[in-house]
Amino acid sequence: MQVFVAQVINGLSLGSIYVLLVTGFNLLLLVAMIIHFAYPQVVLFSMYIAWLVLRWTGNSVALAVAASVAASVAINLASAPLFQKIMKKREEVDINSTMVVSMGIGMIITDVLSHGFNKGLPISFPERFVGGAALFRLGLISLLSGQVLSLAVGVLAVSGIFLLLYKTREGRAFRAIAEDPAGARLVGIPLMSTGLQSYALSGILGGLIAVLLALMLGYASPGLGEQVAHKVLAVSIIAGLGNLPGGLVVGLALGVLESLIQGYLPGSWSNAVAFIVLLVVMLARPRGLFGIKL
Amino acid sequence: MSLPLYYFLTVTAINVLMSWALYLPYRVAHLHFLTVANMAISGYLGGWLVQNLGFSFWAALPIGLAAGGLLGWLLSLFIGDAPTFTVVIVGFTFIYITRTVIENTAAVGGTLGMFGLPLVAATPALHRWALLALLYALVLLVGFWIYRFDHSRLGRAASAVFVDKDLATSFGVDIKKLGRLLQVFSSTVAGGCGVIYGFLYRSFHLDFFTFHLVGLFMTIIFVGGYATMWGTVVAAPLLYGLTLLFPPEIASWRIVIYGVILVAVLVLKPEGFITRRLVLNLERLLSSRRKKNFTHKESV
Repeated sequence: MQVFVAQVINGLSLGSIYVLLVTGFNLLLLVAMIIHFAYPQVVLFSMYIAWLVLRWTGNSVALAVAASVAASVAINLASAPLFQKIMKKREEVDINSTMVVSMGIGMIITDVLSHGFNKGLPISFPERFVGGAALFRLGLISLLSGQVLSLAVGVLAVSGIFLLLYKTREGRAFRAIAEDPAGARLVGIPLMSTGLQSYALSGILGGLIAVLLALMLGYASPGLGEQVAHKVLAVSIIAGLGNLPGGLVVGLALGVLESLIQGYLPGSWSNAVAFIVLLVVMLARPRGLFGIKL
Repeated sequence: MSLPLYYFLTVTAINVLMSWALYLPYRVAHLHFLTVANMAISGYLGGWLVQNLGFSFWAALPIGLAAGGLLGWLLSLFIGDAPTFTVVIVGFTFIYITRTVIENTAAVGGTLGMFGLPLVAATPALHRWALLALLYALVLLVGFWIYRFDHSRLGRAASAVFVDKDLATSFGVDIKKLGRLLQVFSSTVAGGCGVIYGFLYRSFHLDFFTFHLVGLFMTIIFVGGYATMWGTVVAAPLLYGLTLLFPPEIASWRIVIYGVILVAVLVLKPEGFITRRLVLNLERLLSSRRKKNFTHKESV
């Protein structure tokens, strides 16, 4: 029972990161109308930038967080013109083109990380940065500061985004574009600048996720982005592309499922089992459990 | 034949076949990355049959083809008409599962891979010629089938599905059946390529079947042109040959180079270099020349 509770706690904190990733991904999908397959790679790149800044500044956490957010926003905004050029009109095949461009960007980021940083070896974050201190311990059950922080920031960030989307004027503009871009343009919503806002917002979110991932994992490697990318897209598909509440439920569920599998199965097989579960759900419901919101 | 030329020709042929395996399902807007997983599964299966059960390469090859087709068929029952992003992610998920299963299966060498696969012919020189002939015979055969498909009613139906699924359905196209047909065909081709790929290097290793391979095939079809089969024929040798010409320190960045080329082409020339219009114009030009020659001979 203790293993179960401990793994559920681990799973919730891991799931909160998936939720943040899926939320950022869905935001770009709904408002900018792109399938940003490389979004997790952007997050990974920000992790590497945070690591560099930590090394250069003697472990200044504030500067690392700022650099991580800045890097993520910069890449997102820099890639915006590429996507805008391709997304001339909103049709399925055009959305697919953005996905292929995004995969290309992902290839570039992954290979730059494998060649340009730490000789392609995995990086590890300093002890001071990683939230490894136990706030509470009872047998096998422990609550680490990193887990609490990631869960708290996750809840705050997702609540903030939901508040922004459903309680503010800007949020209404985002949702209007997601619902009907032509109609949104007719009522005077600027598609271009609102789209750019969504790039910036998901960039900020990406920077925060990078820091939380560093806190949770304590390391990063060039291949991490691809693996997370596939899980994030799988979560979005299972939830229903563009479905924010669905992403919340499925993201948390995947985190808990993965942790439980890791708790009860040998490590080398746990990832495969998680992927098999994702595959089975995707094959059974290719359009998602909660419905596509596009 | 020199070894570098042999490897250039054989790897190019594999790249052409595998890119066609991606091109065909993309005719109905499916990016079917299951092909790379199929390549690994059939390849390892073929290697295991030869090394552990004493099968010959020529017996393992059809089994590899059949295994690829069977797996493609099974999955196509579920994703025959799924949206593109679902097909993409199912493919990637399958690659991960395949890698983990192979890594943990001692019978196929686990993380170390399989080494010392036998020659497919009596001598090393014959082995090379046999594989080269087999690969280019496959290129011709698969190319002929794809050409016939592209110029058939089914090919036109696929084009209609690519542009507008609802419109194609209203014209009576069975989207699911067409998607399944193309997915099974591409999986079969990938299965065969997997077996040959391993015997080319006489070994199998998981590093052969990475996401870099997906990136390379994707770059070949999108840079060459996804709307016709000829784009692949032009782009495969150029893109692979290009990195061979670079000095090693630049060639090691080939994935970045492919990525930059892919993004640039998709932004600047979305249909790739060999467009459908270009192929049509060339076909018209050739047929008008043929007509001129014919009328000239008649008058003479």
